[in-house]
Amino acid sequence: MTALTMAAIPEEDVGPRRLPWRRMGWVTWRQHRTGLAGVAVFLGALAVCLWLAGLKLHHVFAAATAACSLAGSASAVCYDLSTSIIGTNGFLSNGFMLQAVPPLIGAFVGAPVLARELETGTFRYAWTQGFGRWRWALAKLAPLAIVLAAATGALTVLLSWYYQPYFATVNQNLGLSDATPFAPGLFDLRGITFAAWTLVAFAIGSLAGMLIRRVVPAIAAALAAYAGVAFAAGAFLREHYLAPLVTSNLNVPASAWIMSQWWTKGGRFAFAGFPPDSLLNRFCPAGPAGPVGPHGKPKAEAIAGCLTPHGYTQWTSYHPASQFWPFQWIEGGWLLALSALLIAATVWLVRRRAA
Amino acid sequence: MTALTVPARPEDARLRPVPWRRMAWVTWRQHRIALAGVAALLGALAVYLWVTGLHVHHAYAAVAACHPASSNTCATLTVNFNNANGSTAELIAALLQGAPALIGAFVGAPVLARELETGTFRYAWTQGFGRWRWTLAKLVPLAIAVAAAAGAFSLLLSWYYAPFFADGNQTPLASTVFDLRGVAFAAWTLAAFAIGALAGMLIRRVVPAIAATLAATAGLGLVTGLYLREHYVTALVTSNPNVPGSTMGSNVFVSDPAWILSEQWQTKAGRPVSESALGQVLPAQLGGKGGGIPQSFEVTDYLTRHGYTLWTTYQPASRFWPFQWIEGGWLLALSVLLIAATVWLVRRRAA
Repeated sequence: MTALTMAAIPEEDVGPRRLPWRRMGWVTWRQHRTGLAGVAVFLGALAVCLWLAGLKLHHVFAAATAACSLAGSASAVCYDLSTSIIGTNGFLSNGFMLQAVPPLIGAFVGAPVLARELETGTFRYAWTQGFGRWRWALAKLAPLAIVLAAATGALTVLLSWYYQPYFATVNQNLGLSDATPFAPGLFDLRGITFAAWTLVAFAIGSLAGMLIRRVVPAIAAALAAYAGVAFAAGAFLREHYLAPLVTSNLNVPASAWIMSQWWTKGGRFAFAGFPPDSLLNRFCPAGPAGPVGPHGKPKAEAIAGCLTPHGYTQWTSYHPASQFWPFQWIEGGWLLALSALLIAATVWLVRRRAA
Repeated sequence: MTALTVPARPEDARLRPVPWRRMAWVTWRQHRIALAGVAALLGALAVYLWVTGLHVHHAYAAVAACHPASSNTCATLTVNFNNANGSTAELIAALLQGAPALIGAFVGAPVLARELETGTFRYAWTQGFGRWRWTLAKLVPLAIAVAAAAGAFSLLLSWYYAPFFADGNQTPLASTVFDLRGVAFAAWTLAAFAIGALAGMLIRRVVPAIAATLAATAGLGLVTGLYLREHYVTALVTSNPNVPGSTMGSNVFVSDPAWILSEQWQTKAGRPVSESALGQVLPAQLGGKGGGIPQSFEVTDYLTRHGYTLWTTYQPASRFWPFQWIEGGWLLALSVLLIAATVWLVRRRAA
């Protein structure tokens, strides 16, 4: 042990000719093919399930769209078909379950890259090869990161196809779906963010592996850290990517992501959100007109119908669906930057650590 | 190596067996980090749930204080409360579905896989205590510890979700929340742990065993929630439209709504009739003619008076505890079986 903790030889050893990078491709493949095969099996099985479920969903939506645009959205046949949409793959419709895919892939592939070598002691062999230790780490992390991002990027195509009917303008106009592309479970399943989140999970995993130096605790820590970052991004950060639009129009499209609603009277702020009881009792004694279901939202128009004649105006701040792609590029951008930073930190730690 | 692959000695009856409680220290020393991880995870989640739960209960106090409960103002308050807090509760429920699988996999899979992967099983299993006792003395206390921790945590979850059952937003039998409360949360954690132990013994490598455990537990949970649970007890069928929580009846905003499996209208002759055909029967002032039928008590009342019958298949909320005991029971039996299989494999395997 003591013999091995002597000061590391300076990196820039000018003596032997440096090994070409591509030689490391084989080593990376040999050491991580089981992990990559696991990812391939997992993503493949998921893709088959999504494909089968998606065919069913598309079939139901296509039937409803055709019937509703032919016979009108108030027609009987449209009604029957639109109710069958809700019951089709209901457990996938909010996308929460698929949120687990990026952290699982990233942590299970990323954390062992360095933690396994450090835990078993093989780093003493690997890092003393002529290739150099930080090149060794980089030559493993970069290709694996690219492969994972590419694989999950490919799955995104399938995910976008699966969720496409929920967001199609024609379906939204016919009232068959009111999903917003910013929904917390759906935003990061489409576009470029699915791959970007996988990349971040991988980078977190590799850094956790370098810091903790044991595989299982590193995987657990990577999952926990990822959950924290993803929760913070979804709950606090995402809504601030771009300034929301403000309108007094009551017909905000269902696909919009509504930030807040407030009321003014005579140009001055009256109250935020829902009208207070005193106001409702004064102006809407019979309650807002129209049905109020247990899961339904009270009709904004119904409340506005009571209050507008008395000089109140409703304001809504929202993100329109057209901001989806700017949001994707912003989130993808900072996730890519964060991943690069984390991988750079990992490589720096490898370089700095006395073997 | 070859010296170690001689046939295992038959369990030696002459030596006095080491007392079981001596193994407790070994189990604690080898798995304290994993147990600390479980404690940290559940502790952090508990703090978050406690903070948001206080907020939810505070908001619900205003709804609960509203009188009379059947008034429009109170109904609007209830809907407003559900809209403001329901989606967070739904998100928390969805994320916590993964907690039993994660705890079970990360604690259960390494118990045997780690010894087999690093080769320390050669030392551990040749001690005087005996290899299958060694295994059992590790698996049982750990299983009890994770199940107890999960059980305590699910008490907090029950408290957090109470307002959403009380205001009729959700049935306690809904697949998103059923297995977070009662005995089911602990039972799922136990089952995941047992799956992990067996996967570790079969695969003999820690990380693949954890991955396999996560996949197997997720598959089992999905099958149970989507197909199995509704068949625990034969569903009730009634022609009374006032099933608690049904939007077709007059009991919409009631505590503990039923789990409604299907609703089907029939004609006097007993033939099923689609909602679009009923829409043609219904007068326009009740919302008929244009498509289906609105879901309201007035519509149901009108159709019932005109000879149609609404057959509702449902599981009443009062079956929550029978369902919990059934699910807890079969998961416990499965866990015992899996742990027994693991111990049998350990005993059988030539060291």
